[in-house]
Amino acid sequence: MAKKEPAILDQLEGLTPVDPDSLKEFNREMSERVVPKIRQIVERRRMLAAESRQRKLETQNGAEKKPGD
Amino acid sequence: MYKWLHLSSIAELDELKKHISPEFAPEAVAKKLADGLSDAVKAVLIESDYVDKDYRSTYYNFYAKKGLHYRADCIRLHFFDETISFDDKSLRLSCSDATDVLTHHYFGYMVLRPTGLATIGRSVLSPHVRRGACKYIVTASHKVHLLGHTLTIQGFPAMEQHIDISVCAHSACWSILRHYSERHSTYREFLTHDITMMAQEFNPGGLIPSRGLGLSHAERIFQEAGTFPVIVARDYADPDDVSFYRQLAAYVDSGFPLFAAMHNKGHAMDVVGYDWRQPLNTGVPGLRYSWDEIESLAVVDDNHLPYLPIPARGGSYSAEDIDAFIVALPEKVFYPADAVDELAPTLFKLGTVIGLPPNDQTIIRYFITTASAFRRFVRRHESEFDHNLVKTIMTLPFAQFLWIVEFSTESQWGAYQVAARAVIDATASLLEPNPLWLFHGTTEALIFTREMVSADPNSGVGLLSMSGTGHTAFTRMDENLRQL
Repeated sequence: MAKKEPAILDQLEGLTPVDPDSLKEFNREMSERVVPKIRQIVERRRMLAAESRQRKLETQNGAEKKPGD
Repeated sequence: MYKWLHLSSIAELDELKKHISPEFAPEAVAKKLADGLSDAVKAVLIESDYVDKDYRSTYYNFYAKKGLHYRADCIRLHFFDETISFDDKSLRLSCSDATDVLTHHYFGYMVLRPTGLATIGRSVLSPHVRRGACKYIVTASHKVHLLGHTLTIQGFPAMEQHIDISVCAHSACWSILRHYSERHSTYREFLTHDITMMAQEFNPGGLIPSRGLGLSHAERIFQEAGTFPVIVARDYADPDDVSFYRQLAAYVDSGFPLFAAMHNKGHAMDVVGYDWRQPLNTGVPGLRYSWDEIESLAVVDDNHLPYLPIPARGGSYSAEDIDAFIVALPEKVFYPADAVDELAPTLFKLGTVIGLPPNDQTIIRYFITTASAFRRFVRRHESEFDHNLVKTIMTLPFAQFLWIVEFSTESQWGAYQVAARAVIDATASLLEPNPLWLFHGTTEALIFTREMVSADPNSGVGLLSMSGTGHTAFTRMDENLRQL
């Protein structure tokens, strides 16, 4: 059975309802642009990480010159 | 067993070679110390016949199997300031002020291995005595038992690679995992040889571990250790991949040391801190991020003493050489920095409700913290907050980990202040249209209870109008790293 009403809002003092119009632009931006973009960006980073895993990192040993030496 | 070396200047570390046998390479060690330590170090206690657990792990599994005879014991160097003296007859360490505490004058230790080459083993040094160290460093408290005293040192562990059985990437993994085991009780301790073995699915034997280690091996080490590693790689199709560096800054600012890879240089090290540049009043419009304000990173590179500062941009060795990093996260951080990086500027859409500064006059900083650390911070700065906002922050059923996004104007940034702060659920799903818990400025706060899954984006939201604090800004939350 679904919960009827969030109870926490009732417990907090001084809260007033939010004018839905003030959230409208943010909600639309999140749904229509940001979430799909996040999905795309995270997928791209996963691909880059996968490529990175294939590259050999350690090619020198400590007896050789290293960056900053 | 114990030899006290008083130093009038750090250059006198050269004396180490008179007291330490050549298999510990004292000249190379003294040079490295003299190059990096400050003159605050006024004495070294040389502890011989020291049994070091990390060296012993490699001794039992490798050095003892070799034809050449290697010693089983190590030397440990302890560093003190000028107020400490040592009586070699009674083996007593004492402070010039008898009521003072020894540990306040202790700068840490360095183990020397009897391996001839790359002899610097497990070390924890205070960043306070590192010349040029960055101001913000990831540290943990390390216990040291010495002559009947229990000393503590705040620092980040470091060691040189063994060269033959472990390479720089192993050392970088070891440092992070030793930091974790000291900092968080949920992680166990792993010795040097454990780390070498954890990189492979099976024991490859011999010197195989030193013949190449990839990012996937390091990732495997962190997984085996019970962390949840995330690899973030730079996008070569985007030469300005600034999001990569903003994420790097965010994770370090969250207190996570990063395993950083420089594929073009065949090297790996840990990023463990940073320094802000001098605040600038540029007056130039444009949205900036905390990464833009970072002047240098503190790195633990096994070729140098720990906390080496490297520039964020430019030079032969800088953050620009880093092309991928691993952040070993705890389990319950599901919302990645990528998502926060995209979400943060979108919060300006709520700017009129909260009272944000214009987005072209704002510096954004984001980082992870725990709900308890956030509440502790708010409690400590309670006078800055409206009492109903304090109650709200103490009441909201936050998840264990939170992303915090702070918004500052240029002048607020220079004064370590913020105009507004958003609290994001770090356990949120990538596809959630609203992962916010709280977004507050100085006069208004939006509260999101996140109490139930709802298709209605306006349910579970409340507005808190605040008055009476008299503040135009809040203190910036600088809690995750140690400030020198």
